[in-house]
Amino acid sequence: MGDLGEFCRLYGNVPVDQFRGYGWVFCSGVLITLLVGVACIPVVIVLGLLGAWAKLSHNRLARSVGMTYTTIVRGVPELVLILLTYYGITLVLQNVLSAIAGRQVIVDINPFLAGVMTLGLIYGAFATEVFRGAYLAVDRGQIEAAKAYGMNKETAFLRVIMPQMLRFALPGLGNVWMVLIKATSLMSVIQLEELMRMSDIAARAVRMPFTFYFAASILYLTITIISIWALHRGESWANRGVRRA
Amino acid sequence: MKKLLTLAVAAFAFAAVSTGADAEMNNVRIGTEGAYPPFNSIDENGNLVGFDIDIANALCEAAGFDCEFVVQDWDGIIDGLNTNKYDAIIASMSITDKRKEVVDFTAKYYNTPAKFIAVKGGSFDFADGTGLDGVKVGVQGATIHEDFVRKVWPYAEVVTYATQDEANADLASGRVDLVMADSVALDFGFLQTDAGACCEFAGPDYNDPVIHGEGAGIAVRKNEPELLDALNAALKQILSDGTYKAINDKYFPYNVYGEDLPAM
Repeated sequence: MGDLGEFCRLYGNVPVDQFRGYGWVFCSGVLITLLVGVACIPVVIVLGLLGAWAKLSHNRLARSVGMTYTTIVRGVPELVLILLTYYGITLVLQNVLSAIAGRQVIVDINPFLAGVMTLGLIYGAFATEVFRGAYLAVDRGQIEAAKAYGMNKETAFLRVIMPQMLRFALPGLGNVWMVLIKATSLMSVIQLEELMRMSDIAARAVRMPFTFYFAASILYLTITIISIWALHRGESWANRGVRRA
Repeated sequence: MKKLLTLAVAAFAFAAVSTGADAEMNNVRIGTEGAYPPFNSIDENGNLVGFDIDIANALCEAAGFDCEFVVQDWDGIIDGLNTNKYDAIIASMSITDKRKEVVDFTAKYYNTPAKFIAVKGGSFDFADGTGLDGVKVGVQGATIHEDFVRKVWPYAEVVTYATQDEANADLASGRVDLVMADSVALDFGFLQTDAGACCEFAGPDYNDPVIHGEGAGIAVRKNEPELLDALNAALKQILSDGTYKAINDKYFPYNVYGEDLPAM
């Protein structure tokens, strides 16, 4: 349980009798869930933009790479990919390195990093489609106008296309974020003690599944509601300067 | 592209690579589930507790190991062993042929008996073959317990249920006279709860290796005979020096090892 558990027992305990002394599991669970979720955001955005760029590219190789990425990753269940990255890649690396070194080599991938990379990889594929759709939604005339002003490609992208893409992409990205937060509950198979796993531990220790799973569902719902509110604010910001119809 | 490269580099930085650390036999990491009371669970203070944990600590002391526990969800617990996240699994894992294909097992360290429960005060003739004539016995259908009752007491009237809870509820309401299942499942899942106040264990312990299986063992990676032998030796030692019995009695009012528990 480590330092996080210690911290939560001291400062994050929910002293409700119904939790039979296990009120702290929610604090450590929610923190891990949010940490994994937030750490995934940059990976998702970078991979999403790269994927969208590849799929919209005139280069045939880039297009087929993008196509393969989104097809495979969106087609294989998250759990399978998580197990494959954490255990599969570790095992392959171990066997290959052991064969090269001629003795047993132990590869230890950090579970947090493996989790973030895998979820990032998965939801990057969904974000790819969001960004691609958003790019296509930007009026072609805007790009022509930017060219007419003498902007080079980079400037046109940063000043003209990107801000408008954001408007179209935010609702879709919000969707990806909410699915992502719920998918963090799969991380328990790779030793990450997120909200679902912590609730399970407590529920089974005191044999009160309803109490703990209900509390966990309320917490997931709370995270979602706060996210909806934040996204709403974000959307208003991205839509500043756009007249409402 | 640069960002992607940085991320890839970061990933490798986090993946610690070590060689030959396994040869160091003194440090042994024990994988366990932490969500299977009373065998292994996490208490209010975040500590691992339970029968498995006490047995693991006793084995480590007997073998002179410096042990540390790794908590891992049941899904992926064997993968974690085979990818070196820990060196042994002590998590009430039943020894099965299927699992033997991917890991090695020590000898069993427990094999909880099957038992009957009845409404308090009842008395029955449990004689093999002729006993329980016309007695209604509730079991969960398609389980080893149904097979066992049908095999040993051909004259009993077997009533099958989809879940153990339904069988238990019908015992409490008098629709069946006896219920048979795993002793620990009955004890912790029913007798110790409010609903189980009506009832108690009845008759002797039953443990037929052919039907009930070999019991729970400690899993280690294949081709690591040193660790396997050390654990087996330590298990023998705690069984014969009384340590095992003390841990058994701390958790259970009956013998969970089986009839072959060495006498002190």
